[in-house]
Amino acid sequence: MKLFYEKIDTEETYEKKPEAEKLYCGGCGREMIAEVVHANDSICPYCGYLFRQPAYRRIEMIVDNGSFIEIERDAESKDPLSFPGYKTKIATEKSKSKVQEGVIIGKASIKGLRTAMAVMDSYFMMGSMGTVVGEKIVIITEFATLNKLPLIIFCASGGARMQEGIHSLLQMSRTTIALARHSAQKLLHINVLTHPTTGGVTASFAMQGDITIAEPGARIGFAGPRVIQQTVNDELPEGFQMSESLYEHGLIDRIVDRKDLRDTLADILALHCKESPRIPKLP
Amino acid sequence: MKTVLIANRGEIAVRVIRTCKKIGLRSVAVYSESDEGSMHTRLADESVCIGPRAPEKSYLNIDGIIAAAKAFNADLIHPGFGFLSENAAFRQACDEEGIRFIGPSAESMILMGDKQRARELVAENGFPVVPGSDGCVDSLEDAVAVSKRTGYPLMIKAASGGGGRGIRIVKNEQELLNSFPIACREAEVSFGDRRVYLESYLPNARHIEVQVLADEYGNAIHLGTRECTLQRKNQKIIEEAPASNVDPAVIAAIQDTAVGIVRKLGYFNAGTIEFLLSEDGKFYFMEMNTRIQVEHPVTECIYGVDLIKAQIHVALSHKLSIKQKDIVPKGHAIECRINAEDPARNFMPSPGIITKMVLPGGNGVRVDTGFCEGDEIPPYYDSMIMKIICMGDDRLEAIRAAGCALEELKIEGVSTSAAFSKAILKDDDFIKGRIHTKWIEQVFIDRFMRSVQ
Repeated sequence: MKLFYEKIDTEETYEKKPEAEKLYCGGCGREMIAEVVHANDSICPYCGYLFRQPAYRRIEMIVDNGSFIEIERDAESKDPLSFPGYKTKIATEKSKSKVQEGVIIGKASIKGLRTAMAVMDSYFMMGSMGTVVGEKIVIITEFATLNKLPLIIFCASGGARMQEGIHSLLQMSRTTIALARHSAQKLLHINVLTHPTTGGVTASFAMQGDITIAEPGARIGFAGPRVIQQTVNDELPEGFQMSESLYEHGLIDRIVDRKDLRDTLADILALHCKESPRIPKLP
Repeated sequence: MKTVLIANRGEIAVRVIRTCKKIGLRSVAVYSESDEGSMHTRLADESVCIGPRAPEKSYLNIDGIIAAAKAFNADLIHPGFGFLSENAAFRQACDEEGIRFIGPSAESMILMGDKQRARELVAENGFPVVPGSDGCVDSLEDAVAVSKRTGYPLMIKAASGGGGRGIRIVKNEQELLNSFPIACREAEVSFGDRRVYLESYLPNARHIEVQVLADEYGNAIHLGTRECTLQRKNQKIIEEAPASNVDPAVIAAIQDTAVGIVRKLGYFNAGTIEFLLSEDGKFYFMEMNTRIQVEHPVTECIYGVDLIKAQIHVALSHKLSIKQKDIVPKGHAIECRINAEDPARNFMPSPGIITKMVLPGGNGVRVDTGFCEGDEIPPYYDSMIMKIICMGDDRLEAIRAAGCALEELKIEGVSTSAAFSKAILKDDDFIKGRIHTKWIEQVFIDRFMRSVQ
């Protein structure tokens, strides 16, 4: 008995699309599909290992649904040093990571509390800081200062972008000055350090927050462990440059699980905002 | 070749994968961390982990499932039953991504998901519904007014409830006064919706349902009735097709009503319309399930169709080619659900590893399971291990075949409800058809417990 007129097409007619992008878990070594892992807040479902989280995914996870308004989305890196292969590198990184540059800035609300935010994307050239990243951090900081908003920066960076040389290093002082002006207005600046936060970013705005939070197991440091080991010629201590040891030594204020980040940030904002809707007014 | 992603686990995922293989489609299984290596992931062409064991992070995780579907270029998604099968938001998410959802339209799902709205709509179109309140009842005064019209006993049901949850029975006005506020509060706590409605409680009623199948072009057929009267706490235990000991004229009327409702709604794909059949032969619409059901194999057995294949055809916008008069049922089928629970200890769930499993077989015996020897029944999901479906030329033969199959079945490592089903199959009341929806709870459990001790 044939219930239907048409036959189900079982021919090999569909176009074979490129295979899905794979990721390997740093905790349990399993192979996983990138898109699926990121849909799970970039957390390994097997062992809880925290993958690096793409910036837009992180924004989606942290802010109130639909509240994020991006600023300076289309800013593009020039090639000031005519560094060989830099232009093509940027083009491929753009299409691979689906972001325009190493940081995304904008304003949003978290549980109804307005804030300015910058989120670095380590999938774009390892979140390295070139002129555009520096400029965007300055822009969002000035925006926050002007609008009297708190500022949250999610750091994830391999450091200054070597392809832009001294232009990149200049961004360290520019961002630092902008943030000092923000601070002078008695405005709140929270840094969230994620894996990895290193190099020129650690040496500038990443360590400048009023409150510094880190994700568990994040590498936070200036030079990489291999470089240091070769320099000091000695065994490095266990947990070197890990957020846990930094916490023990008082460099960061708290380690917060990724799934608790939204709640924690909302609590901090509520405690520091004058017009917080969550603090009942006294009669 | 089309690719089907199965957004489910266990027995139904295996069931869908087998049909995909049969008709030459590529299948993608999804699984939670605790289901790694389970049977449905081994059978599928591809499999992908979508999250941790908690259902809301894996099998209910719409983002994760859609991401997996995109990663494997899935053309269709089969939701199975339970989990996201009646979730209109999931269907809309599939539509947005251009993936065909194997099931009815989002509108149908939303409409039928609101049990009270569905009842009103069916009543407005002149189909019979159980006497009760017109819509939801807000206050105690209104509830008492309704009771004056309908009489007692009455049921207080949560508008957003379902699957037997959120129901209270009251026998007189005093009980109504006591229970009504409690029922509202319970509904709010359990379903986040404090609306309740009232319905006559029909003693000794039977639960008869009709399998329907319709395409997107308005062609609709029914595939006969199923008897699902044997329930414990509103969970079905043994199902049969067709319903027996019912006046053929009544059966015909029920079937026509079901098809009428489907046409009126513009419903497409497979669905089930549940009716209550009272002692005096009157039938009433209860609700419609907008998905494939656990007990669909009994219908498949007597009609010789593959309902999952039919669902895929409809989802691909194919046209039904068959007329109602051309499909004839043959014989009788009985399905026994075997759960990992201990009937002697008040049906306490019994998760664990199946250390030994011997399955029945032979002519007219079908076993649908998602587990094999060495597999673990995890405690996080439902406890069904398998369904055993037996066929015979008539009801008595089917009952005997089912009894024989359950004798052959051996499962060690976890406690199962097989002995309970076996005892029902031998019970005189069951064989003679003297059953109703509360028969197990009111009559049979005591009988069974005495026989165990």
